[in-house]
Amino acid sequence: MPLWFIRGLRRGVVTTRYPARPDASATALPTPPAFRPGKLTRELADRMISVCPGPALSRADGNLIFDAGACTACGRCALAAPDAVTPTGEFELATTDRAALVKMIPILGEER
Amino acid sequence: MNPGPDETATATRLRAQIAAQFGRSLHIRTLDTGSCAVCEQEIRLLSAPHYDLHRLGFFFTPAPRHADLLLVTGPMVRAFTLAARKAYEAMPGPKVVVATGACALGGVYRPDPFVHGTVDAVLPVDVWIPGCPPSPLALLNGLGVAVGRLAEKTPGLTFIAGGDRS
Repeated sequence: MPLWFIRGLRRGVVTTRYPARPDASATALPTPPAFRPGKLTRELADRMISVCPGPALSRADGNLIFDAGACTACGRCALAAPDAVTPTGEFELATTDRAALVKMIPILGEER
Repeated sequence: MNPGPDETATATRLRAQIAAQFGRSLHIRTLDTGSCAVCEQEIRLLSAPHYDLHRLGFFFTPAPRHADLLLVTGPMVRAFTLAARKAYEAMPGPKVVVATGACALGGVYRPDPFVHGTVDAVLPVDVWIPGCPPSPLALLNGLGVAVGRLAEKTPGLTFIAGGDRS
Protein backbone atom coordinates (compact mmCIF):
# COMPACT_ATOMS: atom_id res chain seq x y z
CA MET A 1 0.00 0.00 0.00
CA PRO A 2 1.43 3.40 -0.93
CA LEU A 3 2.86 5.37 1.94
CA TRP A 4 0.86 8.53 1.10
CA PHE A 5 -2.36 6.60 1.72
CA ILE A 6 -1.34 5.63 5.25
CA ARG A 7 -0.03 9.15 5.91
CA GLY A 8 -3.33 10.59 4.70
CA LEU A 9 -5.34 8.30 6.97
CA ARG A 10 -3.22 9.25 9.96
CA ARG A 11 -3.45 13.00 9.42
CA GLY A 12 -7.16 12.92 8.66
CA VAL A 13 -9.26 15.38 6.68
CA VAL A 14 -7.50 18.51 5.40
CA THR A 15 -10.64 20.42 4.46
CA THR A 16 -11.42 23.43 6.62
CA ARG A 17 -14.67 23.54 8.62
CA TYR A 18 -15.09 27.23 7.87
CA PRO A 19 -17.70 28.84 8.00
CA ALA A 20 -19.17 26.42 10.57
CA ARG A 21 -16.00 26.63 12.69
CA PRO A 22 -13.09 29.09 12.64
CA ASP A 23 -10.10 28.26 10.47
CA ALA A 24 -6.65 28.14 12.10
CA SER A 25 -4.97 29.95 9.19
CA ALA A 26 -7.19 33.03 9.65
CA THR A 27 -4.85 34.57 12.23
CA ALA A 28 -2.00 34.72 9.69
CA LEU A 29 -3.93 36.82 7.16
CA PRO A 30 -3.03 40.45 6.49
CA THR A 31 -5.94 42.49 7.82
CA PRO A 32 -6.97 46.16 7.73
CA PRO A 33 -5.79 48.43 10.56
CA ALA A 34 -7.57 49.28 13.80
CA PHE A 35 -6.82 52.72 15.20
CA ARG A 36 -6.24 53.94 18.76
CA PRO A 37 -7.99 57.32 19.02
CA GLY A 38 -6.13 58.02 22.30
CA LYS A 39 -2.82 58.05 20.40
CA LEU A 40 -4.09 59.41 17.09
CA THR A 41 -2.92 63.01 16.81
CA ARG A 42 -3.54 65.17 13.78
CA GLU A 43 0.12 64.98 12.87
CA LEU A 44 0.06 61.16 12.89
CA ALA A 45 -3.20 61.15 10.92
CA ASP A 46 -1.67 63.35 8.23
CA ARG A 47 1.42 61.17 8.10
CA MET A 48 -0.70 58.04 7.65
CA ILE A 49 -2.78 59.72 4.93
CA SER A 50 0.42 60.66 3.07
CA VAL A 51 1.87 57.12 3.19
CA CYS A 52 -1.39 55.38 2.23
CA PRO A 53 -0.94 54.21 -1.37
CA GLY A 54 -4.66 54.33 -2.14
CA PRO A 55 -7.67 56.47 -1.23
CA ALA A 56 -8.37 54.46 1.95
CA LEU A 57 -7.48 57.26 4.40
CA SER A 58 -8.64 60.87 4.42
CA ARG A 59 -9.45 63.52 6.98
CA ALA A 60 -12.60 65.61 7.48
CA ASP A 61 -14.14 67.52 10.41
CA GLY A 62 -11.71 66.29 13.07
CA ASN A 63 -12.12 62.67 12.01
CA LEU A 64 -9.88 60.25 10.20
CA ILE A 65 -12.06 58.63 7.56
CA PHE A 66 -11.08 55.03 6.89
CA ASP A 67 -12.52 53.20 3.90
CA ALA A 68 -11.94 49.51 4.65
CA GLY A 69 -13.12 48.64 1.12
CA ALA A 70 -10.28 50.63 -0.41
CA CYS A 71 -7.69 49.31 2.06
CA THR A 72 -5.19 46.79 0.70
CA ALA A 73 -3.88 45.90 4.19
CA CYS A 74 -0.35 46.85 3.07
CA GLY A 75 0.60 47.92 6.61
CA ARG A 76 2.27 51.23 5.68
CA CYS A 77 0.14 53.21 8.14
CA ALA A 78 1.15 50.76 10.89
CA LEU A 79 4.83 51.36 10.01
CA ALA A 80 4.34 55.13 9.97
CA ALA A 81 2.48 55.21 13.31
CA PRO A 82 3.14 51.96 15.20
CA ASP A 83 1.60 53.29 18.45
CA ALA A 84 -1.69 54.38 16.91
CA VAL A 85 -2.33 51.41 14.60
CA THR A 86 -2.68 47.65 15.09
CA PRO A 87 -4.05 45.00 12.73
CA THR A 88 -7.76 44.26 13.31
CA GLY A 89 -7.39 40.54 12.62
CA GLU A 90 -10.78 40.85 10.93
CA PHE A 91 -11.16 39.28 7.48
CA GLU A 92 -14.94 38.76 7.37
CA LEU A 93 -15.63 42.15 5.81
CA ALA A 94 -18.08 41.24 3.04
CA THR A 95 -21.05 43.58 3.05
CA THR A 96 -24.26 44.36 1.18
CA ASP A 97 -23.80 48.08 1.89
CA ARG A 98 -20.69 49.76 0.46
CA ALA A 99 -21.10 52.75 2.81
CA ALA A 100 -20.83 50.42 5.84
CA LEU A 101 -17.14 49.94 5.03
CA VAL A 102 -16.38 53.65 5.55
CA LYS A 103 -15.67 54.38 9.22
CA MET A 104 -14.97 57.60 11.14
CA ILE A 105 -12.08 57.55 13.64
CA PRO A 106 -11.97 60.57 16.02
CA ILE A 107 -8.63 62.42 16.06
CA LEU A 108 -7.19 63.33 19.48
CA GLY A 109 -8.07 66.87 20.57
CA GLU A 110 -10.38 67.54 17.65
CA GLU A 111 -13.66 66.00 18.85
CA ARG A 112 -16.80 67.87 17.95
CA MET B 1 -41.15 55.83 -5.20
CA ASN B 2 -41.39 54.13 -1.83
CA PRO B 3 -42.69 50.56 -1.70
CA GLY B 4 -45.99 50.07 0.14
CA PRO B 5 -46.58 47.37 2.79
CA ASP B 6 -47.78 44.87 0.15
CA GLU B 7 -44.67 45.32 -1.97
CA THR B 8 -42.40 45.05 1.09
CA ALA B 9 -44.10 41.81 2.17
CA THR B 10 -43.75 40.39 -1.34
CA ALA B 11 -40.10 41.43 -1.50
CA THR B 12 -39.40 39.78 1.87
CA ARG B 13 -41.13 36.57 0.77
CA LEU B 14 -39.28 36.53 -2.57
CA ARG B 15 -35.97 37.20 -0.83
CA ALA B 16 -36.51 34.23 1.51
CA GLN B 17 -37.49 32.03 -1.45
CA ILE B 18 -34.42 33.07 -3.46
CA ALA B 19 -32.13 32.51 -0.45
CA ALA B 20 -33.64 29.03 0.08
CA GLN B 21 -33.05 28.10 -3.57
CA PHE B 22 -29.57 29.64 -3.81
CA GLY B 23 -28.69 28.02 -0.51
CA ARG B 24 -28.70 24.53 -2.00
CA SER B 25 -26.86 25.02 -5.26
CA LEU B 26 -25.36 28.14 -6.72
CA HIS B 27 -23.33 28.51 -9.88
CA ILE B 28 -20.63 31.14 -10.06
CA ARG B 29 -19.28 32.85 -13.16
CA THR B 30 -16.07 34.79 -12.56
CA LEU B 31 -15.47 37.95 -14.56
CA ASP B 32 -11.99 39.49 -14.75
CA THR B 33 -12.32 43.18 -15.65
CA GLY B 34 -8.63 43.97 -15.64
CA SER B 35 -7.36 42.55 -12.38
CA CYS B 36 -3.74 41.57 -11.73
CA ALA B 37 -4.91 37.89 -11.45
CA VAL B 38 -4.12 37.49 -7.75
CA CYS B 39 -7.86 37.64 -6.99
CA GLU B 40 -8.25 34.87 -9.58
CA GLN B 41 -5.58 32.82 -7.82
CA GLU B 42 -7.47 33.12 -4.54
CA ILE B 43 -10.75 32.24 -6.28
CA ARG B 44 -9.08 29.22 -7.84
CA LEU B 45 -7.89 28.11 -4.39
CA LEU B 46 -11.54 27.77 -3.37
CA SER B 47 -11.68 24.58 -5.44
CA ALA B 48 -8.58 23.17 -3.73
CA PRO B 49 -8.99 20.42 -1.09
CA HIS B 50 -8.44 22.76 1.86
CA TYR B 51 -11.37 25.05 1.08
CA ASP B 52 -13.42 22.64 -1.07
CA LEU B 53 -16.09 25.10 -2.18
CA HIS B 54 -18.30 22.32 -3.56
CA ARG B 55 -19.09 21.01 -0.07
CA LEU B 56 -21.14 24.22 0.42
CA GLY B 57 -23.08 23.81 -2.82
CA PHE B 58 -21.18 26.44 -4.84
CA PHE B 59 -19.94 25.53 -8.32
CA PHE B 60 -18.02 27.38 -11.01
CA THR B 61 -19.50 27.53 -14.46
CA PRO B 62 -17.82 28.79 -17.64
CA ALA B 63 -21.03 30.28 -19.07
CA PRO B 64 -22.94 33.31 -17.76
CA ARG B 65 -26.17 31.71 -19.02
CA HIS B 66 -25.73 28.97 -16.41
CA ALA B 67 -24.68 31.32 -13.61
CA ASP B 68 -26.57 32.68 -10.60
CA LEU B 69 -23.73 34.77 -9.25
CA LEU B 70 -21.26 37.00 -11.07
CA LEU B 71 -17.97 37.26 -9.19
CA VAL B 72 -16.33 40.38 -10.61
CA THR B 73 -12.66 41.23 -10.04
CA GLY B 74 -10.60 44.16 -11.27
CA PRO B 75 -11.17 47.90 -11.67
CA MET B 76 -13.48 47.56 -14.72
CA VAL B 77 -11.40 48.75 -17.65
CA ARG B 78 -13.49 50.84 -20.05
CA ALA B 79 -12.72 48.51 -22.98
CA PHE B 80 -14.55 45.77 -21.05
CA THR B 81 -17.74 47.76 -20.34
CA LEU B 82 -19.83 46.22 -23.11
CA ALA B 83 -18.62 42.67 -22.39
CA ALA B 84 -19.41 43.07 -18.68
CA ARG B 85 -22.93 44.36 -19.45
CA LYS B 86 -23.51 41.48 -21.89
CA ALA B 87 -22.31 38.89 -19.37
CA TYR B 88 -24.68 40.37 -16.78
CA GLU B 89 -27.62 40.48 -19.21
CA ALA B 90 -26.97 36.89 -20.32
CA MET B 91 -27.47 35.59 -16.77
CA PRO B 92 -30.94 34.31 -15.91
CA GLY B 93 -32.66 36.03 -12.98
CA PRO B 94 -32.58 36.17 -10.02
CA LYS B 95 -28.88 37.03 -10.11
CA VAL B 96 -26.30 38.38 -7.71
CA VAL B 97 -23.26 40.52 -8.53
CA VAL B 98 -20.31 40.36 -6.13
CA ALA B 99 -17.49 42.91 -6.44
CA THR B 100 -14.28 41.26 -5.28
CA GLY B 101 -11.03 42.86 -4.18
CA ALA B 102 -9.80 46.39 -3.54
CA CYS B 103 -9.65 47.23 -7.29
CA ALA B 104 -13.33 46.42 -7.74
CA LEU B 105 -14.20 48.53 -4.71
CA GLY B 106 -12.31 51.60 -5.90
CA GLY B 107 -9.25 51.25 -3.70
CA VAL B 108 -6.51 51.07 -6.32
CA TYR B 109 -7.37 52.90 -9.55
CA ARG B 110 -9.08 56.26 -9.79
CA PRO B 111 -11.50 56.80 -12.68
CA ASP B 112 -9.53 57.85 -15.76
CA PRO B 113 -9.84 57.43 -19.54
CA PHE B 114 -8.86 53.75 -19.23
CA VAL B 115 -10.71 52.42 -16.18
CA HIS B 116 -14.01 53.14 -14.45
CA GLY B 117 -12.24 52.53 -11.13
CA THR B 118 -15.13 50.64 -9.54
CA VAL B 119 -17.35 47.78 -10.65
CA ASP B 120 -20.55 49.52 -9.55
CA ALA B 121 -19.97 52.17 -12.24
CA VAL B 122 -21.18 49.53 -14.74
CA LEU B 123 -22.95 46.69 -12.91
CA PRO B 124 -25.48 46.75 -10.04
CA VAL B 125 -23.34 45.29 -7.23
CA ASP B 126 -25.10 43.42 -4.40
CA VAL B 127 -22.17 42.36 -2.23
CA TRP B 128 -18.72 43.91 -1.79
CA ILE B 129 -15.75 41.78 -0.63
CA PRO B 130 -12.75 43.91 0.42
CA GLY B 131 -9.18 42.65 0.48
CA CYS B 132 -6.11 42.81 -1.71
CA PRO B 133 -6.52 40.01 -2.53
CA PRO B 134 -9.46 38.74 -0.46
CA SER B 135 -8.31 35.45 1.05
CA PRO B 136 -10.29 32.30 0.22
CA LEU B 137 -11.81 32.53 3.71
CA ALA B 138 -12.95 36.08 3.00
CA LEU B 139 -14.40 34.90 -0.32
CA LEU B 140 -16.28 32.07 1.43
CA ASN B 141 -17.61 34.63 3.89
CA GLY B 142 -18.65 36.89 1.00
CA LEU B 143 -20.44 34.06 -0.80
CA GLY B 144 -22.23 33.18 2.45
CA VAL B 145 -23.32 36.79 2.83
CA ALA B 146 -24.42 36.91 -0.84
CA VAL B 147 -26.80 33.95 -0.43
CA GLY B 148 -27.98 35.10 3.01
CA ARG B 149 -26.43 32.16 4.86
CA LEU B 150 -24.00 34.25 6.92
CA ALA B 151 -24.71 37.51 8.72
CA GLU B 152 -22.45 40.37 7.72
CA LYS B 153 -20.19 41.74 10.44
CA THR B 154 -19.11 45.02 8.88
CA PRO B 155 -21.84 47.33 10.29
CA GLY B 156 -20.77 46.33 13.81
CA LEU B 157 -17.06 46.97 13.27
CA THR B 158 -15.54 50.29 14.33
CA PHE B 159 -11.87 49.80 13.33
CA ILE B 160 -11.03 51.26 16.72
CA ALA B 161 -8.57 49.11 18.68
CA GLY B 162 -10.18 47.18 21.54
CA GLY B 163 -10.79 49.07 24.78
CA ASP B 164 -9.37 52.34 23.47
CA ARG B 165 -12.31 54.65 22.91
CA SER B 166 -10.96 57.77 24.62
